[in-house]
Amino acid sequence: MKIPRRFRALILMALPGVLILFFFDYMVMGGLVLAFKNFDYRLGIWSSPWSGIENFRFLIASRSTFFTITRNTLMYYVIFTVTGMILEISLAIAMDQLVFKRIGKVMQSIFVIPVFISFTAVQFIVYAFLSTDMGMINHLFGLSVRWYLEAKYWPVILTIVKLWSGTGYGAVLFMSVLAGIDPGLYEAAQMDGAGKWQQIWHITLPLLKPMVTIMLLLSVGGVLHSDTGLFYQVTRNSGSLYDTTQVLDSYILNAVFHNADFGFTAAASFFQSVVGTMLILLANMAVRRINPDDSLF
Amino acid sequence: MRKKRKITTGEIVLFLILLMLAITTAIPVLFVFTTAFTDESVLASEGYRLLPSALSLDGFRAVLKYGKKLFVSYGVTIFVTVTGTIFGILVMSMYGYVLSRKDFPLRKFLTVFLMIPMLFSGGQLSMYIIFTSLYHMKDNILLLILPQSVQTIYVIILRTYITSSVPGELMDSARIDGAGEYTTFFRIVFPLMKPALASVGFMMATMYWNDWQNALLFMDSDNKKPLQLLLINIQRSIETLLSNRNIPSAALAAMQGRVPQYSATMATVVVVILPVMIAYPFFQKYFIKGLTIGSVKY
Repeated sequence: MKIPRRFRALILMALPGVLILFFFDYMVMGGLVLAFKNFDYRLGIWSSPWSGIENFRFLIASRSTFFTITRNTLMYYVIFTVTGMILEISLAIAMDQLVFKRIGKVMQSIFVIPVFISFTAVQFIVYAFLSTDMGMINHLFGLSVRWYLEAKYWPVILTIVKLWSGTGYGAVLFMSVLAGIDPGLYEAAQMDGAGKWQQIWHITLPLLKPMVTIMLLLSVGGVLHSDTGLFYQVTRNSGSLYDTTQVLDSYILNAVFHNADFGFTAAASFFQSVVGTMLILLANMAVRRINPDDSLF
Repeated sequence: MRKKRKITTGEIVLFLILLMLAITTAIPVLFVFTTAFTDESVLASEGYRLLPSALSLDGFRAVLKYGKKLFVSYGVTIFVTVTGTIFGILVMSMYGYVLSRKDFPLRKFLTVFLMIPMLFSGGQLSMYIIFTSLYHMKDNILLLILPQSVQTIYVIILRTYITSSVPGELMDSARIDGAGEYTTFFRIVFPLMKPALASVGFMMATMYWNDWQNALLFMDSDNKKPLQLLLINIQRSIETLLSNRNIPSAALAAMQGRVPQYSATMATVVVVILPVMIAYPFFQKYFIKGLTIGSVKY
């Protein structure tokens, strides 16, 4: 097949992007064969011997570890998605209803700012609140809880940190949809005697549905991927908290640093990638069956 | 036609609730600033407080004192952020332009090629092994720039912006006048993409500024450590100090001045997060517009 001259320029323009995706994304996907290998750093990735499904045996054998980190990963996904969505939508609607537009702009900036503070920095803020001797929480309420040793509090703490960090940013997306709603719809509803709550329930929420579906679908692909910074940094990677804070991503990160349990980690990593992708495909299929317009592809 | 009307009680209540929420959101950020300006001895006796009883600039002085590292890290972070953002923007908008050309036979393939990485990734372990064992790129600063320079979602935002906001006739007439693809793109399309470039550029810059994971995984030499890694190292040295309760007091005294103090730590946090917080209001308009374009279904 001869490529017309005018397309050559286009191919060259796309080439840098293609190369970067190939070397830094596709090659990494290829690296998942590690799950079926007995990796030896000196031999490199291709020469290391195959090990079949040996690595997955580790995964099943260490039942409790694998179970705990998978459970935590899923638990946080559900908590963050449900609380996040509800708060983001409520905040967006509230901001949309606000009549003082100018101060609303300032508020919006304040709500969005935390998302730009990395969790490496956030962990110092959290520490200022939770430090045993100097922390504000212990001081204010006269407690002496050793927060960084008590695993049971962390699902709540991490949820608060996550909501603080991400809600404002998430709400912006919904606000952009709300801004596009035809005001005539509300006026018509008002004529028919609908109150504010009824308008929200019958007009605003249904119009937000496509956006909610797309956001949910996109997030399903990340079910097994967590915000590593939150779990690794904010918890100060404290071992006593692992029971409720260790997720697949932070487990793998720790394993990379300590060269520990290579087979186990490779298998867990494979599980994470493949199951994550399968979930997004399944979810998309389900959505397409219910309402093709809302599906991702 | 809008008539002036009285503001209802409900609207005031809503305003007050939002105001409280905004204050709650802002407090942790303010907290960083007040702690950074708190006198170290007050911090030790009273703990962290929103309104400390004695202020001082010692934290910032300490930062300046052990400041050489900070200076180098600032340089690394700025270098990575600037080169990464410019490079990424250029590569992604060219890709986006190619995708916007409906008559291009490879368009379908390039779209799928772009989408797959969003749905499927090899994960950190495989990334680590490929980059270090296959590419031998450990401690190579390019690893802080290249892997993140092309992001599916941003390419889609840029493509959508070209198809929806750059007039097709403009591109057609340029071609009729004999302009090649490069001229059409760099002279006509690229300058018209400014709002989208500003929004994607800001998001890219923040991503590079805040990236710690790649630095933690790949960077070893002191002169290649970005700010975020510096923060992690500070935290670790505090941790070591706290966990080693049996360090003799003489040794502790000798370490005085080298161990980062609490106010100095917060002062460092201020220095790290301030640039983004200053830049954000200027980009807010574009940033929100960019998110809106991005949410258009593709």
